[in-house]
Formats: sequence, structure tokens, C-alpha cells
Amino acid sequence: MTDSASIHHDDEETRQLERTWASPPGFFAWFTHVNQTNIGMRFIVTGFIFFILGVILALLMRLQLAVPENDFMDPETYNQVFSMHGITMMFLFAIPVMEGFAVYIIPLMLGTRDMTFPRLNAFGYYIYLIAGVMMYAALLLRIAPDAGWFSYPPLAGASFSPGLGLDFYTTVVTFMEISALVAAIELIATIFKCKVPGMSLNRMPIFVWAVLVMSFMIVFALPPLVIASLMLALDRMAGMHFFTAASGDPILWQHLFWFFGHPEVYIIFIPALGMVSSIIITFTQRPIFGYIPIVLSIVAIGFIGFGLWVHHMFTAGLPQLGSNFFTASSAMIAIPSGVQIFCWIATLWGSKPKLATPLLHVLGFFLIFIIGGLSGVMVASVPFDMQAHDTYFVVAHFHYVLIGGAVFPLLGGLYYWYPKFTGRMMSERLGKVAFWVTFAGFNLTFFPMHKLGLEGMPRRVYTYLDGLGWNEANLFISISSAVFTLGLMLTLVNVLISLKRGNIAGDNPWNADTLEWATSSPPPSYNFRHIRTVDSRYPLWSGTGGLEQNPVVTGIRSDRREILLTSILESHPEARQPLPGPSPWPFWLAVATAITFAGLMAHLAIPLLGFVLCFIAITGWVWPKRLGVAK
Amino acid sequence: MTLHADIDASKLPDYSYDFRSPLWWGIVGLMTVEGTVVATLIASFFYLQGNHTAWPPAGTSPPELLLPTLSTVVLLVSMVPVYLTDKAFKRGDPKPLAWMPLISIALALVFLGIKAYEYASHVDFRWDTHAYGSVVWLMIGFHSAHVIAVIFKTLVIVYLARRRYFTPEKRIAVTVNGLYWYFVAAAWIPLYMTIYLGSRIWS
Ligand code: HEM
Ligand SMILES: [Cu+2]
Repeated sequence: MTDSASIHHDDEETRQLERTWASPPGFFAWFTHVNQTNIGMRFIVTGFIFFILGVILALLMRLQLAVPENDFMDPETYNQVFSMHGITMMFLFAIPVMEGFAVYIIPLMLGTRDMTFPRLNAFGYYIYLIAGVMMYAALLLRIAPDAGWFSYPPLAGASFSPGLGLDFYTTVVTFMEISALVAAIELIATIFKCKVPGMSLNRMPIFVWAVLVMSFMIVFALPPLVIASLMLALDRMAGMHFFTAASGDPILWQHLFWFFGHPEVYIIFIPALGMVSSIIITFTQRPIFGYIPIVLSIVAIGFIGFGLWVHHMFTAGLPQLGSNFFTASSAMIAIPSGVQIFCWIATLWGSKPKLATPLLHVLGFFLIFIIGGLSGVMVASVPFDMQAHDTYFVVAHFHYVLIGGAVFPLLGGLYYWYPKFTGRMMSERLGKVAFWVTFAGFNLTFFPMHKLGLEGMPRRVYTYLDGLGWNEANLFISISSAVFTLGLMLTLVNVLISLKRGNIAGDNPWNADTLEWATSSPPPSYNFRHIRTVDSRYPLWSGTGGLEQNPVVTGIRSDRREILLTSILESHPEARQPLPGPSPWPFWLAVATAITFAGLMAHLAIPLLGFVLCFIAITGWVWPKRLGVAK
Repeated sequence: MTLHADIDASKLPDYSYDFRSPLWWGIVGLMTVEGTVVATLIASFFYLQGNHTAWPPAGTSPPELLLPTLSTVVLLVSMVPVYLTDKAFKRGDPKPLAWMPLISIALALVFLGIKAYEYASHVDFRWDTHAYGSVVWLMIGFHSAHVIAVIFKTLVIVYLARRRYFTPEKRIAVTVNGLYWYFVAAAWIPLYMTIYLGSRIWS
């Protein structure tokens, strides 16, 4: 514009940026960090640790079920273990890990230096951490919830489940969801306001679209769950009657739970779709076929996902018309899913894709997901569901959908972004072995469950009688689950070894197209030294010679944390936004929030105290620094 | 290495208003979440109603209308000073900020006082009497907690205003607090209609 005066790499300014954005070292300072790369990584690491715990619980279950009439675990322990397996996988692993990837990657993809509310980010993490630790403490003390991850009353009510287990469930679920809600709001605000100049909505990477839709789904799907679990808590602790048979209605819980629970599957699945698109673009080295249809179908899945919840309740007794409607909408979801698959295939078609581990996982996802989708179409029809409901057929179906639809893309994403996270490549050779073992182990574990289910084996049983013809299949499944776990462990070993031994990655080892690859690996605390405008959907490949040729935004201050705000649709620069630095208050607010909710278990008055503590923490949080100094 | 410097952000303001501000989007997100909570509560109210021949159940009389209607009006009026304050501040006049929200706070306290009186001595059911009692008490509790929270929040704003913290560039904090106040007041309307009018349809 004015003076196209060339600016030089100014070392002094780089050092200034480093000082401004640094996270202070030391144990206590750890609780003050707010940079999005730090918080995102914590979500990812913590999420995978819970994944490992969840898998360990699954193995314990399979050990118990390997032979009939086994007494490795007593029924009560088994109930806690399978409930905690579901709770861990759905609440403590899947959503947080997806959010972790989003929090880490999205600001980098948008080309900005941080998210809009860094401290809120940190707060969400501590909430999640405290909730997870509480749940596992309960399990170690053998007082974990034991009524399944969806804890239906009346079983989960006070009269049939006395004791603390379900109290842990209700209170922890209620306050843990705050973490997901906070992250969702923050992701929406960041995606709306922090895109680099030139990245208009129709140039946004598909992963960003997917995370945007995921965040909107969280905003609408989680509040009903929060309220439902609060109601269950009040039923149990204050003698209220939301779900009691005396005056309330247990079916209300099912409605509220599945109004959350079905979208939840898509909340996990949609960001995974975004990862798949990113990986396909990079490893075919060509623009995606049908950008607009893909984006539209992601949005469509987001909407339709809310119209499906009742298919979890076909056997609960519903008016005929209602069932038909939900059968139809359950079938409808196949359309946008199909559109995406066709676009991906079209992109792959004739492209000589590079069969690296991330892409392998995507191909694995295709296969598994198609099987999961088929069995899904089967259970979406009411007569079939009547037959298969609560058998191992359903267990097979949802593991195909969840592991195929989320875990495989996630592992692909891990191999794909690991170089960005750590600066080193994971071993390709070990990665390929790990993939094949995982893939084979997965199918060997879960495919036979279809058969077991059709033969009538009910789910959620701690053992089964000899002589029902289920012995061989069960033993086979249990052995296969060890193979599956071995595959996952190989990936874990790969992650750990590559930290030190992996090849140096460089900025953009895959020659990918999106902005996170335009900075060093791992990214510096300020993400980008220069904020550069973009002029295409594939900025690192753009025809004009790549990003290096694009104009730079200058004048963003480096002596305090500051990001650039741009308009929502067209991404015109609008303002600069100063950001807060490290702060202990998010941690304290999380502690106060935990006291408020967990206190409910001990005494009804503790939440009042917690309310006051929360208010103190919030005031400390928002209190302006300058004022304190002026005094 | 040389680079082209084409956009100079130092000329841009380091504050933003309304929908240009991330904070605005943050509060809109929060209101959406809480709006969904309100909708869930109302849906539960009517769902539970469907299970009962009489609603409120036999033996419970539907709540009286006079007091709650009065308190609703008081709460709605409390939005006016908030609105005037925000408007004055947008014009560049910070003075009302130091006192006008206190009127709103006083009105909100009257609202809470009426509620407390009503539920302490004027209703003949408790939260553990039946499903009706549970859902009504939860709605009242949920909303009252929000009124209390927004009162505290506004007190902080007034205090900071008196310490001359708010320059016109920082007015987004005031706007956002105002938005939240409107939300808390407006969320009461569907709750009021559900509890006080909805209870009378079936009784
Ligand atoms: C090593 C891998 C895994 C194995 C061997 C495994 C095995 C099992 C088994 C045996 C059950 C109990 C079925 C029943 O009796 O109803 C179960 C339940 C469940 N699993 Fe997995 N699972 C694995 C991974 C996962 C993953 C990755 C997820 C989600 C992302 C998941 C989600 C669930 C859920 C939600 C339940 C239902 C729990 C309940 O009924 O409350 N599982 N799994
Ligand atoms: Cu579903």
C-alpha cells in the first residue's frame, strides 16, 4: 500500500516476541500457562492417557468374558468397569481429544497467534482434568458409577443405586461438560474473528469447517445433558421427582440423554471427517474434489444429527408415527455421508496417492466405517432394532462407528500432525506395521460380535452360561482384543521413540497446503513470526509462488500479546486485540467450580460456599491489572 | 530476506465493538447455551405434565398470579436503566455508568425479594412433593442464581466505573454486561409463562 518498503527479519523483534509470549517455567508456573499450543497439547496428551485407561478397562472386560462362568471379576466390579469404559471413551477421551486437536491446530490453520480467550481455554482444561481424576479416584476406591455410561433411571435412581457411584456420575458429568462448552464457544469466536486476512469463509480449510460445525453442535447438544444430569443429581440427593416412578418419568431422562447422546456421536465424528479431508488433500497433492458439497454435507450432518435421538428408544414404546419419522431421518443421514465419501474417492481417483501411514488410516476408516454404516442402517429400522436391541450386535455396530469413524482418523491425524507437534517424524515402517496390526485386530475383535448378537448374547452381562454356543466366539474375541491392543501399543511406542529418535521434520514435511505448515515445527510460542495474507484455499500451494510472496501484516505489537481481528465473511482486517498473559485464576476458578459441584455429594450447603468461591475467582480473573498498580 | 509489507495494522484500533468483538461472540455463545438450558427446562415441564391427569397434580393449587406478575414487571423495568447507561456511554457520556445500574440492581433485588416471599410462604408444594414441584423449583432456582450472578457482575462494573477504569475504548465490557442483563430478564418471560400460565391450562 503506502510504502511497499521492504522490511527485514528483525532479530530484536523476534526476541521481543519470544519474551512476550513465553510461558514461564517452573512447577507452579505450569498452572498459569494459557498459550493455545500448550493447552491444546495438554488436552491431547490427557485425552490419550484416558484412552489408554479405557482400553485397559476393555481388556479387563474381555478377560472376564473370555470363558463362560468366569469369576475373574464379581458382577459389581464388572458393572463399574464397563460403565467406566463407556464414560471414559465418550466423555474423557473422544470429545476432549478432538477439542485438543482443534485448539492446537485451528489457530495455526487460521494463521493467528492465539485464541480469543486464552484463559478460558486453560480453565476448560483444568475442569476436565479434575473431573477425570475424580472419576478414576472413585474407580480405585470401588465406588465408581455402575449403571452404564447412559445411566438410565430408575436403575440409576436413589432407590436402586444407593451409594456414591451414581453421585459421582451425575456431578462429574454436569460440571465436566462445562469444559466442552467453553472450548466450543471459544473455537467459534476464534474461527469467526481470527482468520488471517484473505481467508474468507469460502477459503477456510475443511478441517476448520468441521470444527466449526462440531462447536455449534456442542453448544446445542450439551446443555440438555448438563440439565439432565443435574436433575438426576437432585433426584438422588434432594429427593426430587424428575425421573422417579412415583411422579416423574424415567423416559424423560432417555429423551434428554439421547438428545445429547446421538449428536455426541457426530461431535466426535465430524472433526474426524475434517482430518480425513486434510490428509487426503495432502497425500494426493491436489485440491479436494467438491469443496462446496463437502462443506455443505458437513453442515447438513450437523443439522440432521439432532433429528435422530429417538432411534435409541424404539424399544421404549413410542407412537407409531414417531418411530417412522425417526427411522426416515436416520436413513437420511446416509446422504451427506455418501456425498463426502464420493468426493474423497473422486479426489483419490487417478491421483497416485502417497500411501503413507496417515493415508493408510484413512483408507482403514473407509472400510470400517462402511461396515458400521451398514449395520447402522439395519438397526435404524424399527423391526430389526426390536430384535437386535441390547445384544452384542449393537456393541459391534457402535464400536465400528466410533472406532472406525473417530479413532482411525484420529490416529491418522496423530501421524500426520506429530511432526508439527514435536518437530520430528514418526517412524513410517513401525507405523505401517502398527496400522496393519491395529486394523486386523480391530476387525477380528468386533466383527464376530455381530454374530454373537444375532445369536442372542445380550450386552452388559458379566458372564454367560456354558453350552449356549457362545464359547468359541467369545474366546476368539478376547484373544483378538489383545491383538488390537498390541497394534495400539505399537503406535504408542512409535510416539515415544520418535520424540527423541525421529527424523527432523522441518516446517512442512508432507508438502501440505494449510498454514500450520508455514511455521517452524514445533511452532514458536507466538505461532507465526510474520502474519501473511492468503489468496487461495491452498495458500502453501498457491500459483503465485507460495506464501512467501504474499503481503505481510505489520504493526501488530510485539511488546504485548496481541492478535489481529478480521471480519467474519471476507476476513478484512478490523482491529487488533490485546490478549491476557499467564494467570493462575483459571486454575482457581476450576477448583472453585469443582467444589461447587462435588460438594453436592457431601452436603447441600457446600454448593453455596462454592458459588461464593467462584465469584471471588471470577472477580480476580477479570480484575484489571492497571487498576491495581494505580492504587 | 526481504518481505513486502502491505497491511499496516498499527493504524487499526486496538479495541472493537459489538459483533466485531470476540467478547460479543463469547457472550452470545454463553446466552445460546443458557437459552438451550431454559428450553430444556420448559420442554421437561410440559413432558412431565403429559404424565399427569391434573397439572399441578391433585392437592396442589396452581400458583397465584398477582405477585409474580408484579415481580415480572419489576424485572422487565430493570432493563431500562441498563439500556440508558449503555446508550449514554456509546454517546461518550460515562457519568450514568457510576450510578444508573444501581437502580437496576435495586429492582432486581425487589424481584428476588418477591420470589423469596412467594416461595417461602405462598406456594403449597415443595421441591420434593412431586414432579411439578421439582421442575418449578428448579426453574426458579436456576433463574434466581442468574439474577444474583448478574447483580454481582454489575456491581463490579459500577465499582470499576467509579475508579474511572472505563474509557470509551473499553465500552465493550459494559455492552456485554448489558446484554447479559437483558438476557437474564428476557429468559424470565418464557419461564414465567410456563410456570404461571402453563400451570393454569390444565388445572
Ligand atoms: C480396545 C478397544 C475396545 C474394546 C476391546 C472394547 C470392548 C467393549 C466391551 C466388551 C464393551 C461392553 C459391552 C457390553 O457389555 O455392553 C464395551 C462397551 C462400550 N464401549 Fe468399548 N471397547 C473398546 C474401545 C472403545 C472405544 C475406542 C470407544 C469409544 C470411542 C468405546 C465405547 C464404548 C461404549 C460407549 C460402550 C458402552 C458402555 C455401556 O454400555 O455403558 N469402546 N466396549
Ligand atoms: Cu444415534
